[in-house]
Amino acid sequence: MTAATAPRSARPSRPPRSIVGPLGFLVFLAITWWASSEEFGLGVDIPRLVANLTRGADILAEFWPPDFSVVPRTIGPMLETIQIAVIASLIGCALALPIAFLASRVTSPNVATYLVDRGVLSVVRALPDVLYALIFVAALSIGPLPGILALILFNIAVVAKLLSETVDGVDPGPLEAARASGANRLLTVRWAVLPQVLPNYVAYSLYAFELNIRASAVLGIVGAGGIGNLINEYRRFFQYDNLLMVVIEILLLVIIVEWISIWLRRKLV
Amino acid sequence: MIRFENASVTYPGGVHALKNITLEIPDGQMMVIVGLSGAGKSTLIRAINGLVPLSAGDVTIDSVSVRHAKPKQLREIRSRIGMIFQTFNLVNRTTVLNNVLMGRLHDAGTLRSLLAWYKPEDVEIAMQALERVGIVEKAYVRASNLSGGQQQRVGIARALAQQPTIILADEPVASLDPPTSHVVMRDLQRINRDLNMTTIINLHFLDLAKVYGERIIGMRAGELVYDGTGSEADENVFRDIYGRSLTADDMLGEAAAAG
Repeated sequence: MTAATAPRSARPSRPPRSIVGPLGFLVFLAITWWASSEEFGLGVDIPRLVANLTRGADILAEFWPPDFSVVPRTIGPMLETIQIAVIASLIGCALALPIAFLASRVTSPNVATYLVDRGVLSVVRALPDVLYALIFVAALSIGPLPGILALILFNIAVVAKLLSETVDGVDPGPLEAARASGANRLLTVRWAVLPQVLPNYVAYSLYAFELNIRASAVLGIVGAGGIGNLINEYRRFFQYDNLLMVVIEILLLVIIVEWISIWLRRKLV
Repeated sequence: MIRFENASVTYPGGVHALKNITLEIPDGQMMVIVGLSGAGKSTLIRAINGLVPLSAGDVTIDSVSVRHAKPKQLREIRSRIGMIFQTFNLVNRTTVLNNVLMGRLHDAGTLRSLLAWYKPEDVEIAMQALERVGIVEKAYVRASNLSGGQQQRVGIARALAQQPTIILADEPVASLDPPTSHVVMRDLQRINRDLNMTTIINLHFLDLAKVYGERIIGMRAGELVYDGTGSEADENVFRDIYGRSLTADDMLGEAAAAG
């Protein structure tokens, strides 16, 4: 036993427990109560919810069985949804690349550029994509273009944010080497930083494309093109069996795109 | 010729890393800087290519001020100074050749370099640099797949690809094992002799400094405390520089074989 030979030194006393954790949990409970209470909030009544659970069954029953005969009619809008996602991903992710470099302290030419870029990104990220689609539909017209524009903004916000944070964490060694060699800022970014973050950039872009497929299904509901237009139509005319068919198609598309994306991302690592 | 004229560096935290250094380094000299960590060796080296800005005094290279150089001038000065780092500072995810071509960026044209559309001359310069350090066959291998010694030689090739007149090496062998350390030091010595490049190297192993340093300067707490030849620098001199008696940790060990 080697431990016996070493003299026992005094153990440090345990620091007092932090109350931040339990306190935070209490605050969380209080807010939940506030949000769901009858007087101040939404008045969530769980017993009534359970009692009425069966009422929706009649409506849900109208969804079944899905009507396969509408499939030919959905092909066009489905394709449009995919096209919207592809175009918006390509343009949005391409624009996000330089914006991300300007939004990182490591690669931004000066503090002013960095702060302005960060600020603009925060504002763009603050609004949901459906709201952008509504604005563009109002400003332009009904159709795929407002959908594409809304998703481009969304992609810039998401990819530039994620990528700029990755750039913040790159190994500064190659940057110092490039600077020491007399390379200008642009080439330093191109050859010392970009190779380090390229796999992340591709992964984020694929992720953005996945989100775009999902989002462009919804954007059509506000008139921004794609399969959402059809969803809206079936919903308004209570053609729930058609609606279920469309939901199944979207589900399949999203799953397939996700599989491909996951497979590609795994190849990158 | 590199000249330090009363050069001082004070870091934002208030640390005086260089105190009033005056020093001349003639062309073609192989000079080794020794001293404990924190003595200001890295700062001294980085003051030469302006990676660390001076707070007083000046450094001039062939009578051109580094401190007062405009950004474009500074890039021009840096392009003539190759730098080698303790941790190699390679981009691991890309090829050896792309790493070495980084040494050509200052001269290869921004648009061409952005698109990796290098002129055959630039690629040839990079290949020759790799040839000089004996690993040209690794040109298309990913940098991360090389051993430490090979990675440092890529670092040297990157510096050579600049076709510089000065080589700065900041602890170039501190991450390497003893035999590899000698290989890399001999590469640097050969380059110094064959290409007549002024070579300034930080080392903390005293035996290496004695073997390879044509001239040795000693630093302690930001000040120059020794300046002499390698053969003059005996144990007493080093004890003086380190401010304590020497231990086995101050030696690389393993009989040094200078080429």
